Amino acid sequence: MHDLAFAVNGEQRSLQVEPRELLIDVLRNQLGLTGTKRSCDVQVCGACTVLVDGQPTSACSTLAVEADGCAVQTIEGLAKDGRMDRIQQAFLDHGALQCGFCTPGFVMAVHALLTQHEKPDDATIRHYLHGNICRCTGYVKIIEAVKSLV
Amino acid sequence: MTQPAAQIRRDSAEKVTGEARFVTDIALPGMLHARLLRSTMPHARITGIDAAAALDMPGVVAVLTGADFAGLKHEWGLFLRDRPLIAIDRVRYVGEPVAVVVAEDEYSAEEALDAIVVDYDPLPHVTDAEAALAPDAPLVHETMETLKDFYFKGEAKPLPGTNIFQNYRYECGDVDAAFAAADHVFEDAYDFPMVFHYAMEPHCVVAEYSVREGFTLHSCAQSPSAVQKVLHAIFGTPLSKIRVIVPYVGGGFGGKASVKLDPLAAGIAWKLQRPVRLCLSVAESMLTCRRLNARVHLRSAVAKDGTLLAKAVRVVMNGGAYADTGPAVAIKAANRAIGPYRIPNLRLEAQAVYTNTVPGAAFRSIGGPQAVWATESQMDTIAEALELDPLELRRRNLLRRGETVRPDLRSIDVEMAEALGEVSKALPHRPGEARGFAVAASDPGIMPIGSAMVRLGIDGSITVMANSVEIGQGVRAVLAKLAAEALNQPIAAVDVAETDTLTAPFDWGTGASRSTVIMGCAVQEAAADAGRKLLAMAATTYEVPESECRLVEGGVLVRNQHHTFRDLFHRYFGIDSGDVSGIGSITPQYRNGAFLQAPLFWETAAAGCSISVDEDTGEILVKDYVSAADVGRVINRLAAEGQDEGAAMQGLGHSLFEELLYEDGQPVNASMIDYHVPLIDESPAHFETILIENGDGPGPGGARGMGEGAILPVAPAIANALAAGHGVRIKHLPLTPEKVWRSLRAAKAGL
Ligand code: FES
Ligand code: FES
Repeated sequence: MHDLAFAVNGEQRSLQVEPRELLIDVLRNQLGLTGTKRSCDVQVCGACTVLVDGQPTSACSTLAVEADGCAVQTIEGLAKDGRMDRIQQAFLDHGALQCGFCTPGFVMAVHALLTQHEKPDDATIRHYLHGNICRCTGYVKIIEAVKSLV
Repeated sequence: MTQPAAQIRRDSAEKVTGEARFVTDIALPGMLHARLLRSTMPHARITGIDAAAALDMPGVVAVLTGADFAGLKHEWGLFLRDRPLIAIDRVRYVGEPVAVVVAEDEYSAEEALDAIVVDYDPLPHVTDAEAALAPDAPLVHETMETLKDFYFKGEAKPLPGTNIFQNYRYECGDVDAAFAAADHVFEDAYDFPMVFHYAMEPHCVVAEYSVREGFTLHSCAQSPSAVQKVLHAIFGTPLSKIRVIVPYVGGGFGGKASVKLDPLAAGIAWKLQRPVRLCLSVAESMLTCRRLNARVHLRSAVAKDGTLLAKAVRVVMNGGAYADTGPAVAIKAANRAIGPYRIPNLRLEAQAVYTNTVPGAAFRSIGGPQAVWATESQMDTIAEALELDPLELRRRNLLRRGETVRPDLRSIDVEMAEALGEVSKALPHRPGEARGFAVAASDPGIMPIGSAMVRLGIDGSITVMANSVEIGQGVRAVLAKLAAEALNQPIAAVDVAETDTLTAPFDWGTGASRSTVIMGCAVQEAAADAGRKLLAMAATTYEVPESECRLVEGGVLVRNQHHTFRDLFHRYFGIDSGDVSGIGSITPQYRNGAFLQAPLFWETAAAGCSISVDEDTGEILVKDYVSAADVGRVINRLAAEGQDEGAAMQGLGHSLFEELLYEDGQPVNASMIDYHVPLIDESPAHFETILIENGDGPGPGGARGMGEGAILPVAPAIANALAAGHGVRIKHLPLTPEKVWRSLRAAKAGL
């Protein structure tokens, strides 16, 4: 067992984890943060995207111990006082989700995109979100939602 | 662009914040975790399983194999009873579940899988459908027991002693005479690949069992009542003690329809009498089901002016190791190969064949993409040979509203030329880009069976109980809106409860674009029933004729006087409490049997695309895509457009790159690293959806079902653009860069 100390959504956490444990399992099973979703398991689909020190990271392919000392942000940390943040609101307003399984990962990835690029153009948006798969929407409304924010 | 509040879906609000609960998020007290050991052999006898070492590993509670279920009538199916709960003494495909490890946590279960030793005695295998038809092909099943009207109407027609588990034939007119007399005969064969649904949420079930309470399953099943039915058949448990709860489902596209993982999950819980979670990885979902790949042989007899005179269709479908809903898929493939055209002489044949591959299953518009790929490719081939514009050839043959596709099917209920015309108008014509078009008509196989309940409480809050599954299509929002409209209440007052067979009445299932129509009507009827009861209560309470009462927001209006529901209930019941419930049922007798007509509505599509091709690499880029669907009436525009966009984009996958490949009986690319689905940067730069609304569908307000049609025209539209602009006709999907590059090179070399 290893000690793991990290900040999750702004709150300091100290846990014991097995060396083999994945970040996604610690978030979901130990911390009950089930908003982060598991799909492909192999860093292809982006459903498990969280921000580790601001960088979009596939929690399915990251060992929990690697997050030691880091700040981790998950979908649960975005809404403040019951109010959605502007990315969540834009997804909602534009119908950018259907089954919703890809959505937390997409929202986190868009969060990183908009932090790193103030005014991304169409090509930048498509390139940046290349690591997030959505099987329901055909991406049309996701792109519209992101564009509405720039 | 902010949408009016009424269009915002409550399910979306939960999903976008991460609060929405999916099966995989459910943790019950004392819950165990199961992982499956899967066959590494395409076809073999199991001669021994040694689980002793696995049982000794930390955290492991049990290892279950076929022997543990020996006492049950464990073979199940929907059309054919061909499938064991878990492999008993034989495996029929790589990936078939052979043993289950149940442990305190998932890591321990996973680790113990490696410690199980299975001895196999290999049998000859066959993975290709045409090869499985050969007289000396190994038999995947020796016996075939069909189930008549079990869950689907009718029964499969297998050919005993062969691998053919469905052999469908239909004929009308005088086909041979028409071919003999025709000016031109076109004959082609088209291949459609084996593709994976890839719903992002893998299959997952949390099951509980006790003798006293029976089964409770938290499942991702699209058809909870089919799950109940199959469990009842296997375990003999009364239906009333088989409860299936379906939270939000992370996509299905048919891959969670009929019955998949539930019997095995239930079997584990039944054996251990402890709650157990069986959650697959996506790589395992790939070994659970996939679309039936097909070869479609087409012969068309055509007059000089392009009039279609006769068509002979022969579809051979690879059904995999177990039939699942393959028998229905084969029939639909044959029907959907006709196209929305006037063809007086038809010969349709479809065979679905067992092979040693992952079981085939329903997938968005069953049999449709396979058939339309062939038919719409051949239409352009015909146009080219007759030197006609492909749009003109289609216009000459397209059905008018009220004409028949097939004399024994209900006549077509849309004006096909309208959709095609809109598409060709909207599709930009840019230099250097080639354009292609395709149309499609499909006959959804809808059983008109489904009920719903609507309850109104003293505070005016309303609950809808319906077993339609919220799988991303927005059905809960649609039902909420319909209930609110029918009771003249604000939509915010309505909640649609989670799918639960214990609390909501029977529904046949969620699929075939049926829920808006069938469940929509059931909810309208249920709300109307509750409304009638409320008005009768008001008439009694306020001592006026019913005709002078009507429902208004928050209560009833009686002779211009507003009374709240609270006031009405209080006076009527005598205390400040109580509620009113209504029930609505759609049956084959509904509207004097109007819903029994097959099909209940036609789901049609028209599309056009423009592409550019990199002749050096063979890569196709779809630049513009225009899709039209005649939906009758739009209930939620964002959701309806989203369905259309999503279906088309899914079609891009099988058109350009998706294919599950087999070598030596082994699937070689069954992981998301090797299997490529469309990504955001592959979506067309310009995508337009045209929704045609004439209010002429059978559903609420004249709505038709939708959500499947748009996947149909994608592949032929792209192939037609490729042929039109670059002179190569490829008849074998997907249109990979390599295939395109080779064809272009061969064409240049004059081969
Ligand atoms: S689940 Fe982590 S990238 Fe797909
Ligand atoms: S909304 Fe279902 S996968 Fe994106």
